[in-house]
Amino acid sequence: MTTNPIDRASRNRRRRTALLAGAVGLTLTASACGGGGAGDGGDLTAPGADVLKDHDGVVEVEFWHSMETTNGKVLEALIDEFNKENEGKIKVNPSFQGIYDDTLAKYRGAVQKGDTPELVQIYDIGTRFMIDAKQAIPAQSFVDKDKYDDSKLEEGLRNYYTVDGELQAFPFNSSTPLLYINKDAFKKAGLDPEKPPKTLEEVREYSEKLTEKDGSKVEQYGLGAAMYGWFIEQFKARAGESYCNKGNGREGLATEVTYDEGTAVEVVDWWKGMLDDGYAVNVGRKTEDSQAAFNSGRAAMTLDSTSALGAILDQADFEVGTGYFPLANDGDPGGSIIGGASLWINGPGHEQVEQRASWEFVKFLLSPEAQSKWHAGTGYLSVNTDGYEQPEAKEQTEKFPQSTTALDQLRETKPNEATAGCLLGVMSEGRMANEEGWERAVTADGADPQEELTKSAKKMQGSIAKYNESIDN
Amino acid sequence: MTSSVDAGRSAPGEGPQRAAGNRRKWTGEHTLAWAFLAPSVLVFAVFLIYPLLYTVYLSMHGNDIVGNPSTFVGLDQFAEMMTPEFAKIFANTLLFTVGTVAPGVAGALLIVLLLEARIRGRRVFRTGFALPFAFSVASASVVFSVFYNPASGVLNGILYRFDLPPVEWLTSQDLAMWSIILTTVWMNLGYGVLVLSAGLGAIQPDIIEAARIDGATGHRLSWHILVPLLGPQLFFLIVLSTINALQGFGQIHILTKGGPADETTTLVYSIYQEAFATGSANFGGASAQALVLFLIVLVCTAVQFGVIERKVHYS
Amino acid sequence: MSTVETGEPKATGGAARPRRRRRRTPAETAGLVCVYALLAVLIVPVLFPLYYAAVGTFMSVRELATFPPKLIPGGFTFDNLVNVNGAINLDRLYLNSVIMAGVITVSQLATSVLAAYAFVFLPLRRRGVVFALFLSTLMIPHEATFIPNYLMISGWGLDNTYPGLVMPFLAAAFGTFLLRQSFKQFPRELRDAAMMDGMGHLRFITRILVPLSKPTLMAVSLYVFLTTWNMYFWPLIITDHPDMRTLQIGLNSLKSAEFANPGLILAGAFVSVIPTLLLVIFGQRFIVRGLTAGAVK
Repeated sequence: MTTNPIDRASRNRRRRTALLAGAVGLTLTASACGGGGAGDGGDLTAPGADVLKDHDGVVEVEFWHSMETTNGKVLEALIDEFNKENEGKIKVNPSFQGIYDDTLAKYRGAVQKGDTPELVQIYDIGTRFMIDAKQAIPAQSFVDKDKYDDSKLEEGLRNYYTVDGELQAFPFNSSTPLLYINKDAFKKAGLDPEKPPKTLEEVREYSEKLTEKDGSKVEQYGLGAAMYGWFIEQFKARAGESYCNKGNGREGLATEVTYDEGTAVEVVDWWKGMLDDGYAVNVGRKTEDSQAAFNSGRAAMTLDSTSALGAILDQADFEVGTGYFPLANDGDPGGSIIGGASLWINGPGHEQVEQRASWEFVKFLLSPEAQSKWHAGTGYLSVNTDGYEQPEAKEQTEKFPQSTTALDQLRETKPNEATAGCLLGVMSEGRMANEEGWERAVTADGADPQEELTKSAKKMQGSIAKYNESIDN
Repeated sequence: MTSSVDAGRSAPGEGPQRAAGNRRKWTGEHTLAWAFLAPSVLVFAVFLIYPLLYTVYLSMHGNDIVGNPSTFVGLDQFAEMMTPEFAKIFANTLLFTVGTVAPGVAGALLIVLLLEARIRGRRVFRTGFALPFAFSVASASVVFSVFYNPASGVLNGILYRFDLPPVEWLTSQDLAMWSIILTTVWMNLGYGVLVLSAGLGAIQPDIIEAARIDGATGHRLSWHILVPLLGPQLFFLIVLSTINALQGFGQIHILTKGGPADETTTLVYSIYQEAFATGSANFGGASAQALVLFLIVLVCTAVQFGVIERKVHYS
Repeated sequence: MSTVETGEPKATGGAARPRRRRRRTPAETAGLVCVYALLAVLIVPVLFPLYYAAVGTFMSVRELATFPPKLIPGGFTFDNLVNVNGAINLDRLYLNSVIMAGVITVSQLATSVLAAYAFVFLPLRRRGVVFALFLSTLMIPHEATFIPNYLMISGWGLDNTYPGLVMPFLAAAFGTFLLRQSFKQFPRELRDAAMMDGMGHLRFITRILVPLSKPTLMAVSLYVFLTTWNMYFWPLIITDHPDMRTLQIGLNSLKSAEFANPGLILAGAFVSVIPTLLLVIFGQRFIVRGLTAGAVK
């Protein structure tokens, strides 16, 4: 559902007024009061190519994003390339706004003041809010206007961002979780390194063989994975289950989360068993810690995002293999949710030329050439399927053959309600509550997973109701 | 411990007996005095006093979803603290405070007393023990985060070498707080050593020498002579460590984020969470907790001054 | 409100203590051996984190990822130091920390000198009460006032700026308190003579008082610089832009925002403690004075 551990960790780091539920009420009031209605060129339909052709001078596009360090540098290089190509016509001015939560919080403030940027990058779990805020021109409108071939966009992504039959935003960066294995450890334990376990049951069987103990001293754990809420979302999706009600929040505003039902409970139960029996090590909720466990050879398997591959290969002194993210139960339909972050072009308060110029830039970012560079530079998947045919992406695949696993897993995903992922205005809070319940269930003496998950799911009802109320008003 | 509120009661240059001719100068200088105090007063008024009063205001109001104060709720926010969850936070804060202050002060005392023995390299040793003081809460915490990894961390690596079972430093509900405490005690040790050895250095050498001639050596000298003489410094160290511990935040924010299962959530961390955690912005509730913190700091200081002061020996 | 008079730790330790050589009894020798043994046992864990941060800074990521961890490095590399700069803009954060701590130190010195001068040398009605009120501000923990400060300062649009970082700390009663003690020692006649010569207040302060109060000013400066350099809570709240964070917050980013890389974490921590390490080694005397007088805080 989200992108990679960087994003997640930084989100955990600190949230200043990051109220996903937060200012929705205010925002909507502001937009309803018409910070910009159809009057200022702000009705939510896409302008045609002619507006830009008829325009003299340079059109400036302010672009708010959340890409830091390496990712930020690759993005800026792409922007420079675009600006050079369009010199004298379009100039994109990138502006880093902090982690995803911050960008959303600032965007919300900007909506209130009627001062939004032309283009903004928002993470997957902010999608519901963006739709409810009614500030962005639906992506579908641009696609229709230009007869843009959006079939080149990764199907799972289109699935995620299609709401009410329309593509809402343009997916830009995305990743998917994998099972990472230590091939050397597999060989030593007499397991076939080319056949990573496919289900949780198999993960346990393998772990029993991989775990080495010498008295009370542990030489090697079978599994060392973080209790990261994203994983539960994936387990549920792969089992064909929704994460929230109302058709995963796609048939209407979801009113409750369902991570206290079905697969989620089984997974937590299984997790607790793995820890209690000593086949897994409890590294807490952060993937940095599970990476350290895996990289040092202390845990023979781990779960992590595709984008961690580079860092893992840098540090691991053994052969690293990748497998599909495991299924909770044999026979689960499989697939994976991919959200990542997407690009939203704002309508109200912006000239048509600006909207059009933003779209030109988005088209550039979605091109196979740009996505190939993006994929090679950052480890994110290419959102354009043709991106993999480009030289940079090919080189990447040669260098890290393990990365094809992610692509295969993605390609095999059947788009449906479950793999589309849950749309929830307070999704970030929901994920955190889920992690808390999970952690409580496995660390407290005598805790019951069902009970703990129910408790934390109940805790979410209030926040969800508050959000929905602010939408209804 | 000298009371400092004797503040220039008899400050020179002041007094009603001043000649009338000096009156204008006096008024002028009096204005100047306030002009000199003004920058400080301004900063205190804007960034301490007003915020404190506004915190009181916020604590008595509910807030809307963006944190703006809404209706007057009286003491409801305080009443809401009467929950087992908040009691747990309180207990955590208490454990953290006692857990860091007692071993921290005792450890520093032991070290400086050992250094009092006639040993070579005293200076080198003292500097060595003082070095952790160079670490900030952030630098100490990130280094310990490398130590604490349950699978690959340095500490479990050392246990492994000694054929001992691994420890879940930060991921076990029972141990997480103790690991935070260990980091904090280590971090504070250098400071304690510096303060106490400065105190010993200030003791008149002849007192010690006289005691030695009287036959006081080793632990008797330490316990009966030096410790009482160190009273003021010990007292100071206890007060300061207590107040610091009550405000401890960075190590929790960096190492555990209050987890697992809220086992390391202390008062300050809870305030931060209420105010800034996802979907929260509960400024009212956070303000109420902040006032509780303020009162605790106040009471602790007062109690410590009241109780301990009577028992310390003043040199 | 009270404080500890440690006095200047003149010739700390035994240096100035008369050493009368006499023969040690066997019991004393045994005791001394015990003392050495205890000290040795204690100093190892105390120095270990510093040692590991130092050697880890120059170990390769692969070497750091081995288990059980190597305590003695096998190789030597500058990779971590180079990469840490790319990961968190280390030089910029260093600069931010220097600016923040520097501005606050200078401002607190200036405001404290003026205030202490007013308390000691200028006529003031209800001086005692004013001074007590002054000191009572030290009882207000910043954690108890940060919400209004955050709302106010970010409301002014000063989040992610240097003014926002330093504003709440531009003055503190602690410096005033310490300087007042020192100024009170200043010979009255000297000041009267200076004033008689027509020297103005400010000139007297800058030309005579400040130069003569150097030790105390050093103590205040070092104390303020050290505490603000290490500040964590406020910079965390008032900044979020990677270019405006301070070094301490950058360390947290290294720990949580990147993929697991202990090399970067240790390198960042090591580089960040170098200035304070030097202060502890070479400025102990002043630090102790400042910190001890900070009892009230």
